[in-house]
Amino acid sequence: MAGRSGREISAVPETSIKSKLLSWEGALILILVAVNILGVAISPNYNVNNVLREMPRYLAEIFMMFGMGYILVLGDIDISVGALVCLAGTVTVLSSNAGAPFGLAVVICLAAGLLGGMLNGFIATKFTELPTMIVTLGTQIIFRGIAEVLFETWGNGGGTASMTDTKGLMLLAKKIGPFPISFFCVIIAGAIMITVLAKTTFGRKLYAIGSNKTAAYYAGIKVQRIRFICYSLLGFLSGLCALFLLTATFGSNTTTGQGFEMEVIAMCVFGGIATTGGKGNLIGAFIAAFIIVCLRIALGQRNINTQVILVIIGLMLIVSVLVPALSGALTAKKKKAQT
Amino acid sequence: MKKKSVGQFLSESREASLVIVLIILLIVVGIINPSFLSFTNIRQIFLNNTLTFLMALGMLCVMLTAGIDISITSTLAFAGMSIGLLQKYNILHNTFLLFVIGAVIGIVCGFLNGIIIAKGHVAPIICTMGFMYIWRGMAYVISNNNWASGMDVAGFSDFGKDGAPGPYIILIIAYIIFFVVMKWTRFGRRIYAVGSNTEAAQVSGINVDRTLTGVYTIMGFLAGLAGVLSVSIYASAQPNMQYGKEMDVIAACVIGGVSMSGGRGSVAGTFLGALIIGIISKALPMVNIPNFWQNLIKGVIILAVVILNVVTQRTMERQNLLRREM
Repeated sequence: MAGRSGREISAVPETSIKSKLLSWEGALILILVAVNILGVAISPNYNVNNVLREMPRYLAEIFMMFGMGYILVLGDIDISVGALVCLAGTVTVLSSNAGAPFGLAVVICLAAGLLGGMLNGFIATKFTELPTMIVTLGTQIIFRGIAEVLFETWGNGGGTASMTDTKGLMLLAKKIGPFPISFFCVIIAGAIMITVLAKTTFGRKLYAIGSNKTAAYYAGIKVQRIRFICYSLLGFLSGLCALFLLTATFGSNTTTGQGFEMEVIAMCVFGGIATTGGKGNLIGAFIAAFIIVCLRIALGQRNINTQVILVIIGLMLIVSVLVPALSGALTAKKKKAQT
Repeated sequence: MKKKSVGQFLSESREASLVIVLIILLIVVGIINPSFLSFTNIRQIFLNNTLTFLMALGMLCVMLTAGIDISITSTLAFAGMSIGLLQKYNILHNTFLLFVIGAVIGIVCGFLNGIIIAKGHVAPIICTMGFMYIWRGMAYVISNNNWASGMDVAGFSDFGKDGAPGPYIILIIAYIIFFVVMKWTRFGRRIYAVGSNTEAAQVSGINVDRTLTGVYTIMGFLAGLAGVLSVSIYASAQPNMQYGKEMDVIAACVIGGVSMSGGRGSVAGTFLGALIIGIISKALPMVNIPNFWQNLIKGVIILAVVILNVVTQRTMERQNLLRREM
């Protein structure tokens, strides 16, 4: 499908079974299987029940990953989401402690996330000259700053607050069979987000914007409106992440969510989404997320220095972006021969 | 050529407008609390922000090539932890050698970044994010979650303790070298060339890959140096030291007028940007604003500065258009 310019339209799926198996997603599934085999091999406690029990803490991040995938496909980046999780979690805990019923606290949590995302989107679309990295760097510091101020002025100070009324959270942390509720929520959210990105016109528009903003604009796509929607969506999902994180931690402090933004971006990139935009899909990112989660749980159970996981994630990330670059020359040659 | 009006001069020269912001800031804080302008206090601003000042220079070079390096504080932690442990286990206590070792570790880390970004054509943020995890993890692994306490680094910490000249000398030398290199040497101009237009630089015979590798190696060197300094100044080494502070360094550059899309920025601007960040964090408690407002105010200032920049540029362009029409 290479046009005259030699540019490839990346949203066009390859159809043959062979290419599907050889794709990055196929490799990711193999890695996921390998990680699970490794888990069983190194830890006697690594079984379905235990893994699912430890999962909620990590599952929360996956919500954000979907939104981040959209943003990265657009060719943008958002490094404020970790701080936004902190802010949303903080207002939830503080409002609940101030006497708000659980339902209201949930609404506040999601609204805080949505508003934060809308602020990002507003600045990013009104001042398009600014790289989104700078915009979200600013809002990142602001969101965490607001949370810090709230702890001191509204909470008990000390930069930490735990929820006193945990009845509602317990309800959310319940399990259906061995599966925690958040697991189903992640699957449902994933199904929706993956389908929207891969199968709808909205998803195609994202790829169009990510590949070439100007061309997308002249093709009649409302570029700025779509960017705004994606930022708001990511903000909303950050709120959701904060909510499900609370079901595991029952409290919030000034370091909640620190580094989440990078972990989420790492999941996406490991899953094959390019930060330059217009490439990759969420299925890969979804599998990559579970690889990282399973690896964490396995290493955690084995009592291996938990920070080793950082080294492994870093190595995986670099290898995953280097492999396409190294084989890039080869495939480029092939493509040239085809056209 | 027509003489420029004051407003035009200010909107075109980022350094001039930063100096004015700085003077206003100093006057306001100085009126509310005169002790802010004392020599000791200003000295401490520099001491507390030595690491930001130092690493901002490297970040300037990296951002001039339209890149970014978020692995710096991890490199810092790895280098700092290494030399902390060397003292903890009584292997080495020579201050000079410790500096050399820290710097070499930094250079290796930076070189790896550079070679992967230049030869592998990996997006800088992704590559450095990978190393951000790797070096931070390595810092934990080599230390096995232990600290090197003030006792362990007792003799070494004299170098950077409050009042010792060491950190200031390093800062002054670094800024002089970078000012000269970025303005008057071939390497410095190459960095600007690569950042403004990579293809043009390539065509005109500049070895882009080598320049990129060099830039990230310099960044690594400074981060390693900052790691050693950090151990000396704070008299301890922990694997999580300076976690998340890379954003401060980037923010200092951004406030100082360094463009993230490359090719624009100066050593003077970087210095002023870092100084403004340092002054804000030091001044807030002195003008009776509690410290927990610090991040909020810092974030608002960063956003305000970059948005203001966009707005002035837009009005300038509009005025230029008007002039052409007449």
